[in-house]
Amino acid sequence: MSDGDIRVGIISCSGEEIPEGTISRLATRRVLELMRPGNTVTLCLPLFLAGNEAEREFASKHPTITVDGCDKLCAKKGTQKYSGPVSAALVVSELLNGDCSDCARSAKDRTEKDKEAVWLVSEEIAKAVDAILAGNGGYGSEDGEDGAACACSKPIPGIEIVLDGKPVTIAGLALIFDHLAESGLAADDSSGEKLLETVRIYHSIEPEEEEAYRAALISAYKTHRRM
Amino acid sequence: MTTNNGERKIIVMPCSGIGKVHGLIAREATYLVTDELASQRAETVCLALLVSGDEEALAKIHGAECIAIDGCPKLCAAKNVELAGGRVARSIRVVDAFKNHRGAEPGTATTLADDGWTIVREIAADIACGICS
Repeated sequence: MSDGDIRVGIISCSGEEIPEGTISRLATRRVLELMRPGNTVTLCLPLFLAGNEAEREFASKHPTITVDGCDKLCAKKGTQKYSGPVSAALVVSELLNGDCSDCARSAKDRTEKDKEAVWLVSEEIAKAVDAILAGNGGYGSEDGEDGAACACSKPIPGIEIVLDGKPVTIAGLALIFDHLAESGLAADDSSGEKLLETVRIYHSIEPEEEEAYRAALISAYKTHRRM
Repeated sequence: MTTNNGERKIIVMPCSGIGKVHGLIAREATYLVTDELASQRAETVCLALLVSGDEEALAKIHGAECIAIDGCPKLCAAKNVELAGGRVARSIRVVDAFKNHRGAEPGTATTLADDGWTIVREIAADIACGICS
């Protein structure tokens, strides 16, 4: 990793006892793989708390976001204790207004409510990442190389769309399309605004590009839904 | 937490490592044991709470019989249970379960594939058999 590259570390509590721990874990992984794959890494909280030098060194040198499932704040307190102040601290139970009683700990018990909770929390994490990057002059390296010695993650494959005759790949677009399909978005020309609004959470779209993106996304969405 | 007979429940502690599929397998195997296969005899505790020194978590672990499931050689679950005063009755390494599944495609650290769930069920069944016997 070269000087000036900004990598934001995300530490999830992954608390095993409560559904919020699972939600924090999945939302963190979604940000890593889909939403901000080039700018984020995750750190293993048990390793971090147990004294792993690489994890603690990373958190001391790079902006770090903690994602805790509950108000015991294991991730936040641990990071503050061993590496210094955190750039942002999110608490899943607060983000969901305590409405997690029906959520599941295990993937096999997951319902639409769990999926929506993960999306909501992941969007808040992504906003926090964006705020940090904006404060550091914008996005850093997109070469995908992870110079930090912490838990690995790889961006998920994207779908290529054609924008004014040029190919543009949007990471995780298939997942985004599946999510929108599950929420009932029709595969017709009326889907443009919703597609644009959702995709721009994960992929930078300049105002002057909106028309082109809208048309390309409608076409890609229709194709995806026919598959 | 105790069983209906007043005995202390066995603590199943996964490492829940977030970086690799092995951590997810450890986590899901734990839930299968505590929520289905041996729900009356087993429970889990947040590893982060334990490592943070949470008094309630430490009290649950201290002197309790524990089964640690670790995803990598760092053995975070087993080591931290021991540090907290728990008795590690078994230390299970997820990687050992893969020896019977050469060529398996278990999934990712986010989502398990069919092979991953097969391994989850094997580990959980093995643990539950030991608990219930």
